[in-house]
Amino acid sequence: MLFLQLLFNGIQTGAIYALTAAGFALIFGATRIFHVAHGASFALAGYAFLMCSQAGLPWPVGCLAALAVAVAFGLGMDAFIYRPIQRHEGSFFTVFVAAFGMTIVVQSLIEIGFGRGFAVVPSALTMAKEVMPGLYLANIFWVAVGVAVVLFAIVGLFLERTRAGIGLRALSENPELLRAYGLSSRKLSALAFGLGSALTVPGAVLTAVTSGLQPAISAQVMLISLASAVVGGIGSLRGAALAGLLLGVVENLVISVLDTQWSSAAGFVVLFIFILFKPSGLFGQAVTR
Amino acid sequence: MIAYLLNLATLATVFGILAASLNLLIGYAGIFSIAHAVFFGIGAYTGAQLAILFIPDVLLACLAGGVLAGALSLCLALPALRVRGEYFVAASLGLQMMAVTLFSEAHSLTGGHGGLVGIPMPTLFGIDISEPATFLVFCLLVLGGVLLAIRMLMRGSFGRALMAIRDSESAAEAFGKDVPRLKTLAVGLGCTLAGVAGALFAFYMAFVNVESFTLEQSILVMAMVIIGGTATLAGPLVGVLLLLLLPAALSFLPFIPPTQIGAVQQLIYGGAMTLLMIFRPAGLAGQSTGRR
Repeated sequence: MLFLQLLFNGIQTGAIYALTAAGFALIFGATRIFHVAHGASFALAGYAFLMCSQAGLPWPVGCLAALAVAVAFGLGMDAFIYRPIQRHEGSFFTVFVAAFGMTIVVQSLIEIGFGRGFAVVPSALTMAKEVMPGLYLANIFWVAVGVAVVLFAIVGLFLERTRAGIGLRALSENPELLRAYGLSSRKLSALAFGLGSALTVPGAVLTAVTSGLQPAISAQVMLISLASAVVGGIGSLRGAALAGLLLGVVENLVISVLDTQWSSAAGFVVLFIFILFKPSGLFGQAVTR
Repeated sequence: MIAYLLNLATLATVFGILAASLNLLIGYAGIFSIAHAVFFGIGAYTGAQLAILFIPDVLLACLAGGVLAGALSLCLALPALRVRGEYFVAASLGLQMMAVTLFSEAHSLTGGHGGLVGIPMPTLFGIDISEPATFLVFCLLVLGGVLLAIRMLMRGSFGRALMAIRDSESAAEAFGKDVPRLKTLAVGLGCTLAGVAGALFAFYMAFVNVESFTLEQSILVMAMVIIGGTATLAGPLVGVLLLLLLPAALSFLPFIPPTQIGAVQQLIYGGAMTLLMIFRPAGLAGQSTGRR
């Protein structure tokens, strides 16, 4: 039964990871920017939600505030950090370090504002019920899975069917050709950042009501998104989502064999093995060197 | 006050060695490792164990720490040969996270979260050098040796070949450079020196635990190299001085509550990293115009 319980826990964690990683993959796929400040969007969204609920506002308002903060941060990173750097140089590492710097800034601002400890938004949804003998599930499990499924369907439809979605996919394939067709790569990359950052919101809100927020969460989320994106195949939305789910499940299932301290390392063992033996990931094209 | 300054100077020297060794990877070889604290840690644990179990000789500890860190650097060289750019950064992050778990769980080797305590006073060929000033001189000598070695190596054919790989791997390969061998050597050398710094650090602290070898430490060292200026001899030292003096200076400012100093310090160095990358990507000591 423990196995089943851990599997369900893993699916819940995995759903959150999958959404966040998909946002990261969307941004990377469209703009080729390794947006390591993605975790900072997540943290900001979570704390925005926390602030609203502490102020006694209803949860939809909190979610909207989280959405606004995350999208604004993503767009801001694109406009004020990545774009100026790419204008003069744009080597991968320069972008990486700048984004990393911003992650540290956000993390320390949160630390100054909210303290180092965990912060949880209490919710009736997290009350666990015994579904089967020995298997406890809270309603939040269904919320997490449901939200993930619905959002993936919407994002998938958006990328397949709408003009802007097709534009985003075109941007990842050939930016020059896109410009030749008279589409603005600037607007599309802003769209990618907005949409990608928006995808952190459900994960952030769900984390706020379940396991709780802490300032270092931006680094954790960044690591998970990065790992999922690589394991799934960089730029592949489907791959990142699947890998996110996989990492969530692995992290939890490891507990059935080893101590809990090993759980977060397990995900990185998976990452390391993938980089050594299959760097193109689950769904990526061959990219070795 | 003198004791405090000596302490700060010794710490700066140890970090100078560490930053210079990372600069070898980031600046000269173009291998962007975020797992440098791992090898610093391996050196520290090795040096500490050697001192506790056998003999507290600094030179032996440095040697052992360096050799073990250099040997284990294969863990980093392997992904460096397979992948580049984003993928390698991801791999080194993975390595860093795994290592931290290992450090805190392998109780018999590292003492777990409690760490290794009671590291004896350092000696050199049987002579006691635990006096702060003497130990500082020894560390300075090591730093000098490291810098000299890096300078000579980087001016020679090894350094030029490395920089050629950094700037264009395929071009270097086309010129007949043995890229895998050179990269492995560079990683090995950088990590060996990090191990040496680690062994010194263990004697300096007389206590090591996993807190000193986390991702944050790796990032701090990376920030030192980048803020100072990559691929220059002076750059990492400038970075070390700035980032070590900053917390010391901040603690003198009356309007920052002592509990917030850590956060304010992080805020400043994070912001500095971002701003530098936008306005001066080569770092403070680097050439002002972009090299690319």
